[in-house]
Amino acid sequence: MSDLKNAGKYYWHYLKRYWRGFIVSSLLIIFSTWCIVVAPTYLGRAVEELTTYLQQWGQASTHAQASLTPFNHTLVTYILLYVGDASSLFLASLILARVTAYSTGTMRVGLFRKLQRLRIKYFDTHRDGDILARFTSDLDNIFNAMNQALLEIFLAVAQFVGLLIVMFNQSATMAWITMATTPLALIVAGIVMHKAGVAVNQQQDDIGELNGYINEQVTGQKVLITNGLQADSYKGFTGYNDKVRHSALRGQIWSGILNPLMQGMSLLNVAIVIFFGSWYALNGSMSTGAALALVVVFVNYAQQYYQPIMSLTSLYSMIQLAITGARRVDEVRNQPDEVNPADGQVMPPIQAGLQLNDVHFSYDPGKEILHGITINVHRGEMVALVGPTGSGKTTVMNLLNRFYDVDSGEITIDGTSIQRFDLNSLRSNVGIVLQEPQLFTGTIADNIRYGDPAAGMDRVVDAAKQANIHDFIVSLPDGYDTIVSDEQSVFSAGQKQLMSIARTILTNPRLLILDEATSNVDTVTEARIQAAMDNVIQGRTSFVIAHRLKTILNADKIVVLRHGEIIEQGNHETLLAENGFYAELYRNQMVFD
Amino acid sequence: MKTLMPYFRRYHRDVWGAMVSLVALVFATLWQPRLLQVVMEAIIKNDQNTILQQGLFLLGLAVIGIIGGIINTVYSARIALGVATDLRADVYRHVQSFAYADVEHFSASNLVVRMTNDINQVQQIVMAGFQQITRIPLLFIGALILALVTMPQQWWVILAMMVIILMVSGLAVKRMTVYFGQTQQDIESVNTVARENLMGIRVVKSFVQEGAEINKFSQRSDALTGVTAKIGYWFAILMPAFFLTANLAVGVAVYIVGQNISTHPGYLAAITSFISYLMQILFAVINGGFLMTFASRAIISLGRISEVLETKPSMTYVDGSAEPVGGDIEFDHVSFTYPGDDRPTLKDVSFTLKAGQMLGIVGATGSGKTTLAQLIARLYDPDSGVVKVGGVDVRQLPEKSLRRTVAYVLQRSTLFSGTISGNLRQVQPDASTGHMQWAANIAQASEFIERLPQTYDAPVEERSQNFSGGQQQRLAITRGVMANPKVLILDDATSALDARSEKLVQEALDRDLKATTTIVIAEKISSVLHADQILVLDNGRVSGTGTHQDLVRNNEVYQTIYRTQKAREEGPTNE
Repeated sequence: MSDLKNAGKYYWHYLKRYWRGFIVSSLLIIFSTWCIVVAPTYLGRAVEELTTYLQQWGQASTHAQASLTPFNHTLVTYILLYVGDASSLFLASLILARVTAYSTGTMRVGLFRKLQRLRIKYFDTHRDGDILARFTSDLDNIFNAMNQALLEIFLAVAQFVGLLIVMFNQSATMAWITMATTPLALIVAGIVMHKAGVAVNQQQDDIGELNGYINEQVTGQKVLITNGLQADSYKGFTGYNDKVRHSALRGQIWSGILNPLMQGMSLLNVAIVIFFGSWYALNGSMSTGAALALVVVFVNYAQQYYQPIMSLTSLYSMIQLAITGARRVDEVRNQPDEVNPADGQVMPPIQAGLQLNDVHFSYDPGKEILHGITINVHRGEMVALVGPTGSGKTTVMNLLNRFYDVDSGEITIDGTSIQRFDLNSLRSNVGIVLQEPQLFTGTIADNIRYGDPAAGMDRVVDAAKQANIHDFIVSLPDGYDTIVSDEQSVFSAGQKQLMSIARTILTNPRLLILDEATSNVDTVTEARIQAAMDNVIQGRTSFVIAHRLKTILNADKIVVLRHGEIIEQGNHETLLAENGFYAELYRNQMVFD
Repeated sequence: MKTLMPYFRRYHRDVWGAMVSLVALVFATLWQPRLLQVVMEAIIKNDQNTILQQGLFLLGLAVIGIIGGIINTVYSARIALGVATDLRADVYRHVQSFAYADVEHFSASNLVVRMTNDINQVQQIVMAGFQQITRIPLLFIGALILALVTMPQQWWVILAMMVIILMVSGLAVKRMTVYFGQTQQDIESVNTVARENLMGIRVVKSFVQEGAEINKFSQRSDALTGVTAKIGYWFAILMPAFFLTANLAVGVAVYIVGQNISTHPGYLAAITSFISYLMQILFAVINGGFLMTFASRAIISLGRISEVLETKPSMTYVDGSAEPVGGDIEFDHVSFTYPGDDRPTLKDVSFTLKAGQMLGIVGATGSGKTTLAQLIARLYDPDSGVVKVGGVDVRQLPEKSLRRTVAYVLQRSTLFSGTISGNLRQVQPDASTGHMQWAANIAQASEFIERLPQTYDAPVEERSQNFSGGQQQRLAITRGVMANPKVLILDDATSALDARSEKLVQEALDRDLKATTTIVIAEKISSVLHADQILVLDNGRVSGTGTHQDLVRNNEVYQTIYRTQKAREEGPTNE
């Protein structure tokens, strides 16, 4: 129920600006419905008039009076009503198509905008695929539902109400006869839909398991082949496949049976109306013409009667998906934004240095990761963070440009807390190079000037030269205009890393955060990356999560972290002399001993 | 269609069931207006008996319709599921007969899509086929014939209606195909921006490019919005146009009936049934159009499935004994180029290795180390030259024999979800716990396995995410030595192990698998330091062979690699 409420709020937010369109199209739909439900009465009347004409024409006494004029007039009205129906329906569809396209467009951009404001925590706690699914399947479901359901629901409701009104207007008895099978139909539909829901869930679970198995096995095909396990793999597959055969059969039957059942109910309904209608017409005190007209009209109504019910049931699953979709997108909308101080200062150049002062931090409340970290860095110094996995190195990096905020303690630059700087100004001054280089689709030049799109070619080339990648770029046929894209991995991990370093050099940050790559690039490329990193670090205050001995040896200060605490601090010589954890780590990892 | 025929034949009873029940359903639908006409005539004649009788017929007909619908659904579902599961099983079995090159040719993820999504498409279309597609032509032809029988002179009204509808839809389809293609492109471009943005969100934020990203996204999103709106407009025209055409046809028909009523008074009772038939023709045409677009997607899927089934495995094995052969290895002027590559990955590689020796292979990324090892495991066949194991050309070895001779441990060696013992016993189904312990001891894995609450029955999750990288590698090595192979290839399989564990693994291999030929591929020279022979690869060529001492002295490529590693050694972290 709260799903429905949230979904309602979500749609209200995005659709309220189209209220004019909704009112106009509602009026048009009401008009078109009126045309549709009234039209059959004119057909009935036409038949009645034709009957009268035939009777008059057949008898010598009235032969002369017989005229087709009333019939012709009725028929013209009949046709005009359908022209009215078609044109108003066309206009309404046009408006709704526009509303649907533009409102989902706004939703899409709205979602993206919101993502840009979200805290990093959201991205760290949700899988990319899951967030992306909100763009793809959820917004798609919303669009499909609006595209088809919006008009259909309007139409179905209007038609149903209109039909009831006209039917009771024409003949209450016949109206009740037409409606007689409704409870039965609703009960049948309810049962079938419930059964289908259960069966389809089971089916989806089993299909999920089957797909998981196929995915795992085929992705590991190399292992299957080298171990000669293909026959065993097929045997395992058969179990899952047969399970799907059984559960999906139930799912397919229950979800496929609703439509034929409703069509059958509609047939039954028409049969009942013809049967009882004609019996009723004959036993009433009607003229033959009126009786015929009544049957004609109500057969027409009976044929229409189940259409709204049928279209609503066939829309049911679609609407269900759209509600879930809206809930999931709305979830993102309700996430907290990043905190930017209201009157944030522009970050000035670093004078003295940077200080982490008794910093405590936890990703999840109650599970503290950093327990009172204090580090002093002077301007221009390079600090190497060292420690085992899970010691909190990356966490320290996450705090420096406010991807996360400290729980207590503070990080200051020349005595001013970084939380008092304007967020954009802070980040413009803090450059990062990540372990996994992330480039964007576009040219190499665009990627290098990513942080400053206005930068000219000279600055791009200069940055690339400092990053040791210029020679490689100009050796490409398209040079700086070569397209980089994630899918076509023309570039090696090492080359991407160098481009990402160039990208950071171009923005000339005052404070630098580097996460050294551990990925296995060969040693020659590694040496080039090292040299490029040295170029960036030169003359800047920098923090490096270090994996390489050379980096550590060059550091002005080594901070050894374990379990979220600083256990040792100093330079290589003093730490070795201490003969503590660092010395132990160093000796354990020594290779050419 | 050709692909599906054998499967339909397998379910021919269900096919008959579905068809017969469908005909019953169609008959009920089509005959109803006919009976209505009789009832109308009875009203005109005031004939109560006929009405009663026909009324019962009508009810009976409706019941036939309902039952026909139910039976048809059940049979259709049975066919759809039967065909889909059998087809999937056949595709899966066929893929298992593929050589690795064939898997690469399609790519694993692509094969998975074909076995899941594409098969699902086929299942849906088969279901719809027996429920709907066959019904539409039946309804269309039936309604057409009955309409003509009801009022033969009005054939041209029906014809005119159909021509107009087909013209309108032809026009719309032509425009919309263009727009649909464009939508696909726009969706992809929108998704690319979103995906890259998510993956690089730290980059976006730290370079303060949120605004630029929003602009980029809005631009693409607006293009998509524009096209979807245009498609919407065409749909807005379509439906009202169809119904207007049909209703105009009705109006014209009734008008003509009226003008000729004095000569054909019988038409008075026929008007309603004629209208019903006209509407059924209309619905048949509309539904046919919808199903056609649906079917076109399924046909593409079916084509993709056939493509897999029709691909012959590019590698075959000779029949023969399953006994393993000896552990000697020989490469005789071997060259190899990957399919689709223009440059060879291995060029004229020759070397020999005696059973029980250890060979180290070093070289830069892309120098051909893994390729060389894959030729021994016969994941690929060389273009020229011969690879021999135990003195026999690997192409002349029966599959079982080769697999029992050579164990290949990959850097990212997939463990399958299940249990540890399940993974270890894959290669030796009847292995005792003692034997697993022996293997785990060699791989330095027993220490952590025995600390797990369920030890060897501990679960392995999907993508083995409940184990660290080092643990995964140790488990993979355990699996590799389980069968006590004659040849063991460790393809960068110790990269996530720290130096000490790696050394212990090598010592254990030396001790417990004395007779096993070991081939170690490594980035780190320390991993191959003690090898009997080290092969240095440079751009696919053998640049030198010898022991560490030889190569340090006289191989330039080796010296460069050694120097970079010596200078930096290893970072003092244990990642």
